[in-house]
Amino acid sequence: MGAIEVTGLRKAFPNGVEAVAGIDLSVEQGEIFGFLGPNGAGKSTTTRMLTTLLRPTAGSARVAGLDVLREGAAVRRVIGVALQDAGLDYLATGRELLEIQGRLHGLRGKLVRERADAMLALVGLTDAADRRVGTYSGGMRRRLDLASALIHDPQILFLDEPTAGLDPASRQAIWDEVIRMNREQGITVFLTTQYLEEADRLAKRVAIIDHGRIVAEGAPEELKASIGSDVVTVGVPSDQIERAENALATLDGLKEIQADAKGLTLFVHDGSGAVVRVVRLLDKANITVGSITVSSPTLDEVFLRLTGSRLEGASDEEAAS
Amino acid sequence: MTTITAGREQRAIEWHSLRESARASLWLAQRQVRNTLRVPFEFIPSMIFPLFFYFVQTGSLAKLATTSGITNYKGFVLPVALLFAVSNEGAGQGMVQDIERGYFDKLLVTPAARISLVLGAMGGNFARVTFQGLVVTVLALLAGMDFQTGVLGVIPMVLMASLWGVAFAALGIGVALRTGSGQATQGAQFLAFPLMFLTTTFAPREAIGVHWLHTAVAYNPVTYILEAMRAFSFRGWVFADIAKGLVAVAALATVTVSFALSSLRHRMR
Repeated sequence: MGAIEVTGLRKAFPNGVEAVAGIDLSVEQGEIFGFLGPNGAGKSTTTRMLTTLLRPTAGSARVAGLDVLREGAAVRRVIGVALQDAGLDYLATGRELLEIQGRLHGLRGKLVRERADAMLALVGLTDAADRRVGTYSGGMRRRLDLASALIHDPQILFLDEPTAGLDPASRQAIWDEVIRMNREQGITVFLTTQYLEEADRLAKRVAIIDHGRIVAEGAPEELKASIGSDVVTVGVPSDQIERAENALATLDGLKEIQADAKGLTLFVHDGSGAVVRVVRLLDKANITVGSITVSSPTLDEVFLRLTGSRLEGASDEEAAS
Repeated sequence: MTTITAGREQRAIEWHSLRESARASLWLAQRQVRNTLRVPFEFIPSMIFPLFFYFVQTGSLAKLATTSGITNYKGFVLPVALLFAVSNEGAGQGMVQDIERGYFDKLLVTPAARISLVLGAMGGNFARVTFQGLVVTVLALLAGMDFQTGVLGVIPMVLMASLWGVAFAALGIGVALRTGSGQATQGAQFLAFPLMFLTTTFAPREAIGVHWLHTAVAYNPVTYILEAMRAFSFRGWVFADIAKGLVAVAALATVTVSFALSSLRHRMR
């Protein structure tokens, strides 16, 4: 039995918005599963249903073999959750926060204090343990949130955008910790992210969600290979994009062309060979080429190919790296 | 035999679950008390206004009240000051902060019974308002108030006030859970005004001449809570008044706590 089994899961809100439109998912025990999609795609709503924070409108979901609707308390015993906004009590100290979280998870007496100390050491917050959370930096709060999700030694960890807004060093620290927990403790991780590099680095398999529907699922390498082509990115002035698109329509080996505000993305059989032909065609049409690059497909290009738009986090990610 | 064993197991599970809920409520109440103590400026003003009211009111109107037949005016006014002290206008704001900062979700993903989140918040409020009520009462006693039922009556009077305070806090908690909005929660506290003023705050029931006000006073549950508290401080052990006060506070608490619990369910939809 998988760690997470989802069938026909759907969530419609009273205002008529259908955030999740009937999805199927299966996450194996001990794997890191990336759940990828742009803002508003339905990632957080799915996570909230799987963690018993929201009632599904239809469908079923089992976490660690337990039904999220009928066995909510039992599900919450075996999962750890770090949501998009680090949920912390700013008036408590880091240690107090971990201790109350541990107690609410059923830890008692000496054990809760030992676990709190161990978690503080794990996320490098021992020195700040007795300071109020309100005085912590953003990175420290994220790490404390992760520690609070781990205090009861969960089987399955849900991480919703765990590194959003963090500097590269803090992001790397969280990634290292997730990989270590997965390797050493065999913990299953359901990782929601809009950062492609994060999914690529951590996840063994990913599912891509868009407008509440799963549009692709598989290992990152499989998804990239499924495109079966190289990616040529051409930068052209925004007022010439339409003409450039027309000029390149006759390009040999062209499988697909996508336009955005910065230029064009071409999916072609032989990227290196296509570059010269691209430049010639654009030159013939009197279009200025600002830049041209050839690359293997990324998950962003997989998403672009499948949905016609890029993941919103891609540009943020580049800026942060 | 099997049925008996299964029944015992079921009872053991229910008992365990009840005990766990009680523990969780206690820890969450402790957390709230700790947070209150860490921001003293949030609760100290709640004690200053009732004390100000008590001393100004008794200082300026005691003689006039005596001529109207109220011999122990301090005993008449203290329950009003006490109700002001325990009507925590900040109730529910802590919950709003927890919701806004995502900490409420963090509590919801623990296996603790969800009712504990409401009970814990109410428990924290109970501790706070009981402390505030005791401070106001003790200061009034130190300032020479003649307490009709003696020291034995002080605790039940403060507890009666605290029960009202908790019932009132449950309203704020309910609005916080339903709306997640600090402004809406603050707005709900204005309900205290009609409840506190359309009653026997300034004069006994028999002295109220205006018909509509007399009717409002009769239908206002706070009237009975106030009269029960005055039984301790002013009239003596009038058990019928005390019983009516208990019924009124229980009825109010039933309504407001039910509202808070239904708001919690509403939030989880």
